[in-house]
Amino acid sequence: MTQAVKIIMVEDDHGHAKLIEKNIRRANINNEIKHFDEGGAALDYLFSPEILANGPLLILLDLNLPDMSGTDILERVKGDDRLKRAPVVVLTTTDDKVEIQRCYDLGCNVYITKPVDYESFAGAIRQLGLFLSVMQAPEIE
Amino acid sequence: MLRAMTPRSSQNWSRFSDFVRTPSLVRSITALLTLAFFLLLTVNVASFVMIQRTATINDSIENAQRMRRASRTVLIAMLDAETAQRGFLLTGRTDFLQPFEEARGEIAPALRLLDAGAAADPSLRPYVTRIHALADAKFGEMDKTLNLTRAGRIGQSIQLVRSGQGKRYMDELRGTITAFDTLKSTRIAERTRTSERLGVLTVAMNAIAGLLVLVLAILSAWVVRRYVAEIQRAREELDALNAGLEDTVRDRTAALTRANDEIQRFAYIVSHDLRAPLVNVMGYTSELEQAGKVIDKAIAEAETHRPVAPDVVMAVREDMPEAIGFIRASTEKMDRLINAILKLSREGRRNPLPETLDMTAMAQNIADSVHHQTEASGARILVEDLPPIESDRISMEQILGNLIDNAVKYLDAGRPGEIIVSGEEVAGGWVVYRVADNGRGIAPRDHERIFELFRRSGKQDRAGEGLGLAFVRNSVRRIGGTIDVESELGKGSTFLLKFPKRLILSEPGGVL
Repeated sequence: MTQAVKIIMVEDDHGHAKLIEKNIRRANINNEIKHFDEGGAALDYLFSPEILANGPLLILLDLNLPDMSGTDILERVKGDDRLKRAPVVVLTTTDDKVEIQRCYDLGCNVYITKPVDYESFAGAIRQLGLFLSVMQAPEIE
Repeated sequence: MLRAMTPRSSQNWSRFSDFVRTPSLVRSITALLTLAFFLLLTVNVASFVMIQRTATINDSIENAQRMRRASRTVLIAMLDAETAQRGFLLTGRTDFLQPFEEARGEIAPALRLLDAGAAADPSLRPYVTRIHALADAKFGEMDKTLNLTRAGRIGQSIQLVRSGQGKRYMDELRGTITAFDTLKSTRIAERTRTSERLGVLTVAMNAIAGLLVLVLAILSAWVVRRYVAEIQRAREELDALNAGLEDTVRDRTAALTRANDEIQRFAYIVSHDLRAPLVNVMGYTSELEQAGKVIDKAIAEAETHRPVAPDVVMAVREDMPEAIGFIRASTEKMDRLINAILKLSREGRRNPLPETLDMTAMAQNIADSVHHQTEASGARILVEDLPPIESDRISMEQILGNLIDNAVKYLDAGRPGEIIVSGEEVAGGWVVYRVADNGRGIAPRDHERIFELFRRSGKQDRAGEGLGLAFVRNSVRRIGGTIDVESELGKGSTFLLKFPKRLILSEPGGVL
């Protein structure tokens, strides 16, 4: 049986987190969203036995975190044999080419720049929701 | 003329005295060589004089010898003549008289020679006069006896001889000649000694001069050697200093690069961190707007049943949208400013890539790209022949593009716009470009301000954030150039750009 994909959101800005969640919901995505506002807690959760036991994952990742860089989390996730299949969507304010390239090099699946303009932001999230609705997240064994 | 010459000669003199006072290799060598030259010249002249003098002395010695011989000849010839006289008196044979005549013939030139010598040297005159007189007297006595004998009065003749007159003449002559001879030989010995002394002196002088020249040569060699050693030492010191300087420059450049990187990084982080809250401001403003619309809809529905308080309607339909509009406009502006800072910091992180640029073509392209604007306002852009440059293409395009855009943007509506792009190479490996317009101009107090971020000058009737010239100055500096503005309000502005002809990067990616 296929389990519902769990969305793990690592975002230190609660406003952003709420906006992202709202827009995801508006796109009719009702998957469970687990929010972490710092990298350490997110990593602890990702590498806990609980998550390994509980089905497929999708990770929404902000790069500017207070305790570490999002790329560190990306590197850990993509370096792990079991977690590396989980799709990672980087959603951040940074639109620096070098940074984007680095994320793709580390194995990020989608890179979205948070637009300041709300309409674009909402549009981007809705597209992400669309993307999530058709995406098949692989099982984590 | 005199006034013109006096300073020059005094200048020459002061230059010369400077040269003399200042210790230097050239001065030392010149002094040594001059000394050696004068020494050699002196020795030469002295040797010449000595040789002349020696020759004169030798001549006089020879002359004295000749006179000595002449005096002896007189004595010997006189003895011969006496012997012949005695023989004739004894035998009466005339053939005995032949040596007598021969002797007379010999005496005459000898006496002439002595006379000549006495004429040259008055100290000899008494001797020569005496010899002359005695010889004459002796011949007179002998002729007398011979004549008596020929006349047959032989007895009278012998009587005359017997009187001893002739013998006295002869003895006196011998004595005089011996005295003369002694005097002469003394003088010859003296002169010979003088000649020898002169010879020794000449040799000694030559030897001493040679020695001195040798000493001077050694001195010169020593001076040169010392100088070369000094140069060598100075060069080594210079090399060491240069090496130190290079290290210092490298350290300073590295420090500056670090500082610059830090500033760029700082601007980057700050602008990112400023953007994150902005996303929220924008996002929740939109949420508020959405909520407002919901309330608006509810009020509209309520209005169909009962009247709603006008201040509520006012708050929802006018105040809220107005507030949201201001928040949104301000946030958008802030976003543009942050993006500008980001762009600036990103420019700073890009590495310039020097290549040879055809600046005339580049400027013409930029002019063509704003053609529709200039045509609309009746303005024209004149691109003169620009010298090529070896620099970063993107930076150069941004700089020229911004300046030409600005020139077009701030033309004076009151007169047809004219923008001239010109340039030339200047001494010292620099290239200067000028973008000149006859636009509205910039007040002097704003000449520095216009290059600052977010600062603008004059009437604020054109769109813009005050970024262009800040970018331009940043780019100009990054490729090692400078930018200045010359402008008069109401007349026009000229932007002066100065770049190194060849952009040389101190290290990959860094021009500071």
